[in-house]
Amino acid sequence: MSALSKVVYFCRSAAVGLKQSPFVHFIAVTTIAIALFSAGMARGAARVLDNLLASLGGEVEVTVYLSPELDADEVHGVRAHVETLSGGVATLVSPEAALSRLRTELGDLGEALAELPENPLPVSLELRVPPERRNPDALQALARALRDAPGVSGVDYGEAAVQRLSAIARALRFGALVAFAVVLGATVVIVAATLQLAIYSRRGEIEIQKLVGATDRFVKAPFLLEGLLQGVLGAAVALFGLWAFGRVLGPTLGALFAFLLGPGVAAPWVEPRLALELLCAGCGLGLGGSFVAVGRFLRV
Amino acid sequence: MIQFFHVYKAYPGDPPVLSDINLNVEKGEFVFLTGPSGAGKTTLLKLIFCAEKATKGQILVGGRNIARIRESAVPYLRRNIGVVFQDFKLLPHRTVEDNVSFTLDVLGVPRAEAREKVRRMLKLVGLEHKADSFPLRLSGGEQQRVVIARALVNDPTILLADEPTGNLDPALTVEIMDLLTQVNVRGTTVMVATHDATLLSRYQKRTVRLERGQIVSDEDGVKAARRMVV
Repeated sequence: MSALSKVVYFCRSAAVGLKQSPFVHFIAVTTIAIALFSAGMARGAARVLDNLLASLGGEVEVTVYLSPELDADEVHGVRAHVETLSGGVATLVSPEAALSRLRTELGDLGEALAELPENPLPVSLELRVPPERRNPDALQALARALRDAPGVSGVDYGEAAVQRLSAIARALRFGALVAFAVVLGATVVIVAATLQLAIYSRRGEIEIQKLVGATDRFVKAPFLLEGLLQGVLGAAVALFGLWAFGRVLGPTLGALFAFLLGPGVAAPWVEPRLALELLCAGCGLGLGGSFVAVGRFLRV
Repeated sequence: MIQFFHVYKAYPGDPPVLSDINLNVEKGEFVFLTGPSGAGKTTLLKLIFCAEKATKGQILVGGRNIARIRESAVPYLRRNIGVVFQDFKLLPHRTVEDNVSFTLDVLGVPRAEAREKVRRMLKLVGLEHKADSFPLRLSGGEQQRVVIARALVNDPTILLADEPTGNLDPALTVEIMDLLTQVNVRGTTVMVATHDATLLSRYQKRTVRLERGQIVSDEDGVKAARRMVV
């Protein structure tokens, strides 16, 4: 049999299988679709979480205190060095501006600052670091490098807050990963169980195939193809669901949580990469389920 | 063509189904396998097409020792053996033509060639006008003829029939047996398991009698028929 005629036979056989047990296949496709839809939603939620963390992380500023003996040219030199070192943007804050800001922040207590004989605050640089460096390790390394830089007397970046934020993000990602693994496992079991029903309904056909000399691979192939088709259909349904969700509820959610979330919330829910990932996951789930299911029905 | 050397078959905890079977069936021969229910006729046939494995002994089919055959080689052995069952084992949702071409699909025969072979085979069994019918619309004899067509469509060297007329009335029984005889005349080795004594006396073929898993007689057709009459 040529490869093409084999493929045609397997496709025809898989189509017959889908036609013979539509309800069973509907259950399997729906299960895959729900699992993938959940995965897609989780991905969307993760993206929103990333945006949230990035926006919160963006508020973490590194303050670089400069030595008081530096003249204006040296201050600009240190600023340029700091910007080069960090890849971020440094804003120069004069001692007067810093004192004024402190007075405002202290409110009524700020009046006490007027009693100071001289301004004790040094010239400082407020550094906004690029997003890729807004994690505890990178910030710690950057702070160490800045402290060693000439003309710098001290560095402060709210280390505890950054570490707490990162720990929360890590915990949420791990939780999502565990939940996703459980959903995937359950889906494979359900798909395998439903496919076993479909295969059981065709056990007579399998028995005859084996009796007339079909190899195991020949018997298995149409069922694996059915699983693959279920996966593709399930992924298509899930993607449609995500697209519809994004279209119908996306703008409302974006408006509701705009105060909390970054600009990413307005991004489309179904992107080509996500579509490809869900399609591959669907194929994997369908194939995995059918692979588990066919094994025990071949012993004739 | 088929040789059994001291073959035993037993299931754990039960007395042996077959004991010390020695049998030689020549190429092109027609052999009846007879005996009461539970004598081991079906098991003996199953050993030939590897649906069961012998507990002890050697079985040669076409010169190949199937007692030592690898699992993956079984499908290729079965392609040379046609099997006919009492309960037909037809696919009810497929047409007669599809049921017969099922064997050729498995063997990978191109569609056009398969169609031609199926038509020829249906003509041989007298069912060319029922090619598009579904099995459940056919009589028992017609269904059995479809099964025979399916078993023969890829020109196997051996045809095994397990009580092929068990569910049929006498007229249809003769019809099916005539067909099997005709197949044998074309050169196919045929083994038929039956407990129908009238068939043995009517067709006068070599008859191997099994009782409690052992061969108790192996006679040529005339002798066996004479004993039936007596």
